[in-house]
Amino acid sequence: MTNPRLRAVLLPLVGAALVVAIWQATVVLYQLPMVVLPTPWSVVKTLVALPGTAMFWRDVGVSVFEFGAGYALGMILGIAVGTLMGEWRLFRMAATPVIESLRFIVPFAWIPLTILWFGTSYVGKIALVTYAVFFVMVVSTARAVLHVDPLLSRVGRVMGMGAWQLAWSVHLRAAAPTIASAARAAAAVGWIAVVAAEYIGASAGLGLMITNAASSLATPAVIAGMIVIGLIGAGVSAVVGWITRTHLDY
Amino acid sequence: MNTPLQQGGELAFNAISHQYASAGRATSVLDDVSFSIPAGTVACVVGPSGCGKSTLLGLAAGLLAPTQGTTTWDDTKVRVGPNHHIGMAFQQPGLFPWMTARQNLAVGLRTRGASRAEANATADEFLDLVGLSEFKDAYPNQLSGGMAQRVGIARALALRPRLLLLDEPFAAVDAFTRLKLQQELMALLKRYRPTVMFVTHDVSEAIALGDMIVVMSQRPATVLRIIPVSREERNRASAAYARKLAETLACLGVTSDMDHA
Repeated sequence: MTNPRLRAVLLPLVGAALVVAIWQATVVLYQLPMVVLPTPWSVVKTLVALPGTAMFWRDVGVSVFEFGAGYALGMILGIAVGTLMGEWRLFRMAATPVIESLRFIVPFAWIPLTILWFGTSYVGKIALVTYAVFFVMVVSTARAVLHVDPLLSRVGRVMGMGAWQLAWSVHLRAAAPTIASAARAAAAVGWIAVVAAEYIGASAGLGLMITNAASSLATPAVIAGMIVIGLIGAGVSAVVGWITRTHLDY
Repeated sequence: MNTPLQQGGELAFNAISHQYASAGRATSVLDDVSFSIPAGTVACVVGPSGCGKSTLLGLAAGLLAPTQGTTTWDDTKVRVGPNHHIGMAFQQPGLFPWMTARQNLAVGLRTRGASRAEANATADEFLDLVGLSEFKDAYPNQLSGGMAQRVGIARALALRPRLLLLDEPFAAVDAFTRLKLQQELMALLKRYRPTVMFVTHDVSEAIALGDMIVVMSQRPATVLRIIPVSREERNRASAAYARKLAETLACLGVTSDMDHA
């Protein structure tokens, strides 16, 4: 255990093995039926079988599409409005009270209304993800743009940059690392919003897959679905983090 | 003598008064300031800290408008907004951290309409002049403080400004680097001959670099005296330099003889 690379591989495995062991021991000790808590092994079997079904890929596709579309829209709107708030004092004064009062109405509070307005279609989910992502982005973009080193603004102005060029090529560029870390947080929030909305009312998606499995008492499928949600969420976060590190490291 | 590439112009402050609004009260920083810097002259502005020297630079650059009075460049009123005749360097390098040294020089040239090829060629030329050609692809966080400051000055000069504005550009570097940078700047100014307004709180620097010294008072600042500097007074080893130093310091209320202070 003195080899640091070996340790870096082994220790996380020890942690994971411990969790699985406690899980297995709980099932055995309390003699829990499959419906209440299946064994790790039966969950693994279900998980491995999932990619073989067309329904699974359709559900993954729907959830990822709803997330992706909402994330893109929320990012564009949030960064645009946030930049305007950072650059333009009058707009900031008008927009701040609206943003501040709406942003504490968490996305989940909107789920009943979105179902009322858009039914169980993907439109409501996209709207919800857009909303969730927008508020994370607008607040941190405005703050980041506002806190750009004033010296950099002065440098841009004495070079001869006008207001638009200054906003685009100095302020947004200088704020980009902060905006990128907000983008990573927004990805997590957006993914949570999709799944939550699908739990409550959807015609397809991972959330629906899990609620369907639960109502037919297929508990291994419920847990397998939860693991898929976790894996996709971690994957999205890793991709955003990788883009941040490789392109915005200053 | 080199043929000047770009002719400097005359910068004039005419009866400038300026107030800042802070915490609901107007603070007066400049009070009826008038002086002019003839074309191609290096003027060093000295005075106590916080006396409004940087405000004067901001007025010359068109970064702000005075409360009263006018600033003129070649008899034309300086307007607030992008002004293409100026180049400016600050106490901190203020380099864009996402750009290489070369891109930092090129971006201003591109803003002023140069083609990409022209901008890169000029950037390389000026990085070479400050001895940093090897570092043209380095990012600011890979440069030492002195090197970054050189890039900042090269960036201002690369615009070949008719008016060069310097806001204590050597105040944040160590004493030895400061002397080297002063020499380099002198050599560059001889070559390009812009009109220069150099703000500093270092009186010896003002004598070493300036053709004239503008001595400012405490806030609200007025012009106490304008002192011309001759070539021989610039020689730090001369008695004339010592006399000029004493004269300028006396203006600022500092006695040169510590034993009788």
